[in-house]
Amino acid sequence: MSLVWLRSRLFRSYLRAFILLWLIAKIAMVAGAVLYRTPPFAFHPFGEAVACAVELWLIGLFVRRSHEDILLGNLGWSLGTALAPLPAVHLALSLVVSLLG
Amino acid sequence: MTAVLAGDSIDCSLGGRQILRAAYVDAIPGKITALVGRSGAGKTTLFNVLVGRCHSNGGQVRWQGERVARPSLPILARRGLFYHPDRPWLALHLTLAEHGALLGSGRDWRGAAETLSATNWMDRRVGSLSGGELRLTELALGLALAPTVALLDEPFRGLEPLHREQVATALRVLAERGAAVLYADHDVEAVRRTADRLFSIEAGVTRLVEGFRDRPLREWYHEWPR
Repeated sequence: MSLVWLRSRLFRSYLRAFILLWLIAKIAMVAGAVLYRTPPFAFHPFGEAVACAVELWLIGLFVRRSHEDILLGNLGWSLGTALAPLPAVHLALSLVVSLLG
Repeated sequence: MTAVLAGDSIDCSLGGRQILRAAYVDAIPGKITALVGRSGAGKTTLFNVLVGRCHSNGGQVRWQGERVARPSLPILARRGLFYHPDRPWLALHLTLAEHGALLGSGRDWRGAAETLSATNWMDRRVGSLSGGELRLTELALGLALAPTVALLDEPFRGLEPLHREQVATALRVLAERGAAVLYADHDVEAVRRTADRLFSIEAGVTRLVEGFRDRPLREWYHEWPR
């Protein structure tokens, strides 16, 4: 993964959308935890993995629907390669929230 | 001369309907090859098979004579393919300059934009451009990528005469720089002016048409006119 990609405005737009999706998923997870009377901000690896997979799937869907996967493809990047940094972002945000909570 | 990219004996069915029947097409360095056929003849499907966006039931894609086991756009792009589909594919919220930055410092996207007179709207969001300006922006990025093969699906579609001429310039510049240009179209007169070689496609069957400039249209096809 090149610095050119990580610094690009296109990647930053994917990052913004991903963080928004993470926030929505986190609110849903907290609501579920409150409902079942479990610690709301606890880090559940399986739940986080599922949430991350759904977030990535949705971002991938947006990218394909706007045909930006062809732009990435012409640059020699698969969708998986382009979105590879995002799971680390999910993990970092969720860990920070669980530590603060 | 050896074809850089070739699709050989391609069969493809979509939704239970056979779209391609042992179709063959290739692209030769320095030449502009046109694939001509009516809407629904299978042009886009054949291009989609070449770049791995559609799975074929039979046949093979070859790159410089070697079979590509699993064709995909990123893999072929790393070898030197540029693919222009029949719909906008740039990020609409970015400018040409921001797209150019994605190519890295080694690519002369400004020079490519100048070649196609696309510098006037370099800092405008792609989503605010007219259809012709958008097409030229896409092709400027294609030029900047310095491809070995340029695969373009209906690059002239819906353009006014001035923009058509600029798109034709882009194809010629690509070919003059040694790229193998393969494009799909159904504008017969534009093809006569632009192309060096021609494949016709009718009901998923392709045919290389020798001496196409001097031959009447009905001889380009197997079953034309119906």
